Amino acid sequence: MIRCDEFITELGSLLDDEVAVEIRQQLELHLAHCRSCQVLYDSTRKTLRIVTESGSFEYPEPIAEPLVERIMSRIRSSCDTDQSPTE
Amino acid sequence: MTFLRSEENGPRDSSVLAFLKSNFGFVPNVFRDQMLRSDIVQAEANLIDSVLLKQGALTRFQKECILLVVSAANSNTYSVALLGQTLEILGISREQSDQIAVDHQGSTLSEADKAILEATKKLAESPIAFSEEDIKSLRRQGFSEEQILECILITGLANFLNTVQTGLGALPDFPPRIVFPLKKEVNLSLESGRPTIERALDKDFLSEDPDTEIVARVQGGDTDAFEELVRKHGRRIYRSLVGILGSADEAEDAMQDVFMKAFQHIRDFERRSKFSTWLVRIAINTAIQRVRGRKEIDSLEEEDGEFRPRNIQAWQDDPEQCCSKEEMRRLIEKEIIKLPMKYRLVLMLRDVEELSTAEAANALGLGVPAVKARLVRGRLMLREALVPYFSKESTGVTA
Repeated sequence: MIRCDEFITELGSLLDDEVAVEIRQQLELHLAHCRSCQVLYDSTRKTLRIVTESGSFEYPEPIAEPLVERIMSRIRSSCDTDQSPTE
Repeated sequence: MTFLRSEENGPRDSSVLAFLKSNFGFVPNVFRDQMLRSDIVQAEANLIDSVLLKQGALTRFQKECILLVVSAANSNTYSVALLGQTLEILGISREQSDQIAVDHQGSTLSEADKAILEATKKLAESPIAFSEEDIKSLRRQGFSEEQILECILITGLANFLNTVQTGLGALPDFPPRIVFPLKKEVNLSLESGRPTIERALDKDFLSEDPDTEIVARVQGGDTDAFEELVRKHGRRIYRSLVGILGSADEAEDAMQDVFMKAFQHIRDFERRSKFSTWLVRIAINTAIQRVRGRKEIDSLEEEDGEFRPRNIQAWQDDPEQCCSKEEMRRLIEKEIIKLPMKYRLVLMLRDVEELSTAEAANALGLGVPAVKARLVRGRLMLREALVPYFSKESTGVTA
């Protein structure tokens, strides 16, 4: 049977559903017998779910408009000095 | 999607798919579309392993170049896009691989490499003209019998895969940079209403880009039209930047640079990918340049020892119920930003921006195995940081 460190090495591929059938069977067998890896698998899976669903690193409304204005003003002033966009 | 009926595509979860995934970072459609006979895909995978992946007399780079030149000689848009991507992961720029595909004689390859590609092209393009003289000429360039044999086998492999892809109508895995014109015989199939790869390409990557019209206006000199692109894509670009750079102020600053670069180079944008994809790539490169300019450069390059999770406490069934969505968002941001840069970069690209492993590898200039190793480490580190908030013994979130 595989060891805990081997399980951890394969954990990412298991979470992304990228493991071969035989390896998956070995990982599942390990999981059925190892409480620590069960906890690790469950909590890492939940971590991944929370990250995906948290809407992290959102674009705050109040900065959006002034930022667009700053970007466009830089671009327009560059157009006054050169022939941008470049050929 | 394939010319064959998709419901007949056979089992999805198969060890052969996992093998292909581990070597390519994903399963190319040309194999996925053959899964009705997974036993044959397995045999092909074994052949690819022996001929291409295992160390042989030719280098991996030489072998990939042979595949590329044969695929270009066969006008196989699909394979040229796939190989361009593979070569990029091997450290060859898109410009170099495009040059090799279109005209290897004009590339910066060695004379010997050009000679082997010339022979391979002749074998693929006009086999009737190929003779022992071509083999002798390779010997004169210093190639061994084993190297010449590998060259011929890989030419055959490329022809096989090109034919299978065309026959099945496998859709490209990546937006192609070079689209070959339809050959006469393919045009005949167009008249009969049968879909062709170029039609599918047109639908997926060219005309369906919602920004095509605005981009064309900007390319035509309408600077005001660019403002629409800034408004439309600002959110996504900002998210990528703040996640990688870890600071809202720096992200705002970098965002100006990203759009400035995009504007200055918009005439180089050739619609081989969606505009949004092109823009995200500029953002990632800009952020990475800034990261490399910091002291964190060391932590990006060094490999750490083995990481062992220490805090093994069971989590609550529904950690999302522990706090409000806003508290959760702040907590996740705070903890992601605390991760060492090299793990944060991979986790941001894969789990926040949801790029594929191959795309993330490409954007970061890493191999797929390195991305996978860093990703699992990043996820485990983040999990460890979240244990105090979500374990069954925790007292709640005060992010």
